[in-house]
Amino acid sequence: MMKGDTLIGIENLRLYFRTARGPLQAVDGVSLEIGRKPAMVIVGESGCGKTSLARAILRLLPRNVHTYTGQVHLNGVDLMQFGDERFRREVRWTKFALVSQAAMNSLNPVIKVGDQVAEPLLTHGLVGGKGEAAERARSACEMVGLPVDFLNRYAFELSGGMRQRVAIATALVANPALVVLDEPTSALDVLTQANIMNLLKEVKQKFRMRFVLITHDIATSSELADEAVVMYAGQVVERCDAGRFYRHPLHPYSQRLMASVPTLREDKELGFIPGQPPSLINPPPGCRFAERCPSRFGRCQEEPPFKKVEADHWVKCWLHG
Amino acid sequence: MARIAEGHSGEKSGSTLGRVGRYMLVRALTLGISVVIAVYITILIANMGGHVDQIKIGMIDEGIAAWVAADEELLALPRAEREEVIAKTREIRIAALGLDIPFPIRSVRYLTDAMSLDLGHSTTLMSDKGSRFVREILLERLPHTLLLFGTTSLLMFFVALFGALFLSRRYGSKLDQAVIALAPTSAAPAWFYGIFLILIFAAVLRLLPFGGFVAAPPPPTMWEYALSVLRHMVLPVSAMVIGGIFVSIYNWRTFFLIHSSEDYVEMAKAKGLSSGAIERQHILRPTLPPIITSFALMLIGMWMGAIVLETIFGWPGLGSLLWRAMRLFETAVVVGAVVIYAYLLVVTLFLLDIVYAVVDPRVKVGAEGRTS
Repeated sequence: MMKGDTLIGIENLRLYFRTARGPLQAVDGVSLEIGRKPAMVIVGESGCGKTSLARAILRLLPRNVHTYTGQVHLNGVDLMQFGDERFRREVRWTKFALVSQAAMNSLNPVIKVGDQVAEPLLTHGLVGGKGEAAERARSACEMVGLPVDFLNRYAFELSGGMRQRVAIATALVANPALVVLDEPTSALDVLTQANIMNLLKEVKQKFRMRFVLITHDIATSSELADEAVVMYAGQVVERCDAGRFYRHPLHPYSQRLMASVPTLREDKELGFIPGQPPSLINPPPGCRFAERCPSRFGRCQEEPPFKKVEADHWVKCWLHG
Repeated sequence: MARIAEGHSGEKSGSTLGRVGRYMLVRALTLGISVVIAVYITILIANMGGHVDQIKIGMIDEGIAAWVAADEELLALPRAEREEVIAKTREIRIAALGLDIPFPIRSVRYLTDAMSLDLGHSTTLMSDKGSRFVREILLERLPHTLLLFGTTSLLMFFVALFGALFLSRRYGSKLDQAVIALAPTSAAPAWFYGIFLILIFAAVLRLLPFGGFVAAPPPPTMWEYALSVLRHMVLPVSAMVIGGIFVSIYNWRTFFLIHSSEDYVEMAKAKGLSSGAIERQHILRPTLPPIITSFALMLIGMWMGAIVLETIFGWPGLGSLLWRAMRLFETAVVVGAVVIYAYLLVVTLFLLDIVYAVVDPRVKVGAEGRTS
């Protein structure tokens, strides 16, 4: 199956949560195009809405949803029009798969690992029977460097890195169009992180599916990224080609973010961003970064547009408006 | 990778069996010791630490006084001779009950008898067939209690379990809120609701019998007999269900809500499993050990029956028997019931340990995790 032409268009996606003090705007009008390049990285600090964006795309919503609107197109079809049952049958895992934030706990403790890897195949009737499902699960495990006999084990018998490999194998097994990796390495030690990132790079080269990597670890993300997206306070503030992003980001927040990352080959003074992000319950009007921005000026009172400044480079900032 | 594979090679399987065997042995021993202690404490309490002996001697004295007053032949005897006869009779009667042996020694004998299920015989209580063997008295009452409380418990357990699953899916709905609001009704005991049910359905509406096990005289055919028993069961079962169902549903619902926010449940949803499959595979299966525990403990719990409930409904079960036995100082019956109960509890706990190992792979291997 050709997956090269997969294109996921997100338009004006909003996900607000109900809280005691009013709706919390976790994802506020995000528009993106995923799939032009193999891997997109979404970076931003904790609480900026990265994971909520992933959940909004995958329709994995918590109970306290206030608003969930916008459009998610997959190759031109608006998935938001699908009912829950149709979405489950036609989209879940066969089109969108997930490697979750807490892979340590994403495995059921009382079901054998192999059965959990094969589960989506049997659920969606992608294989003839259990034998074929087990065969597919085996090959998925070989792909991610998991010893095949691990399939007969339980999650508690595996180390964190091995569990994460299981999670990746599970995501690949049904050959989806898009795999969302939500902080796949943040619960692991540095060595295992490196191993998993290498594995992901390998997987990216072998498969034609699209990847969205969500992380706050900018240094690690550069290993995988073809495209980078920066989120701040529930909004996308910059999106561009990875090569340009890591060297010349345009948004003041992105610049500050990059300045805070240590680099290997040059000696630089690490910067930090003063203040803290605004509350997402009744956020201030205008640019949400304005309060912490060193280069703010009068116009920042109004909300800046998300504007294309060059080919493949969009910024939400009046400096480039 | 080689390091990890090494740590997981098969050499552990033999020692795993050994460890499980050792564990089971230790479990059996500790459980056995706790049964002995529990039964001995019961013997001490049921005898009021030996004080029941004084009560029984008092009863003998009373009997003798009545006999002396009524026996003219005895009154005719000279005073010294009469005293001798009375003293001798008293001694014989005390010895007949074994009260001449000091209580501490007897308590140990009671213990060994009880543990070997030689439950002795009662002094005044009789089974309906006229037997004084404690074992027969208990066995006669047991099926009634099992029928009433077994039916109720099974009904409550499954209604509560599936009701809770249903509500956990509809968290925050009107029905959910109603059940939570009704949960405090379980603070009142079942017999409290029983009184009202008797009042309404038996006294006012005259739809159902006031109490008892079966109509008098018992219907001749088997079919009618069963129907009559069923009619007598309606009110006590309803009383217990009303008295317990809401808080049980509330309990399980919260339990399932907590477990349905586990990450692997979310993953199952992302994988596109149907909600039924998610419930079976990813909510019920990992929570099976606590569910089985509560089910097993509930099965034992119904043994004793509720003393007050059986008394109110005139249900001829173990509960009402125990109530009568306690008032009549029928130590043997009380101890006998407790011994059987203790054995049942221990056997259930032991079986639970084995069942755990079957349903939860983490138990099989033992506490030390084998993460590499």
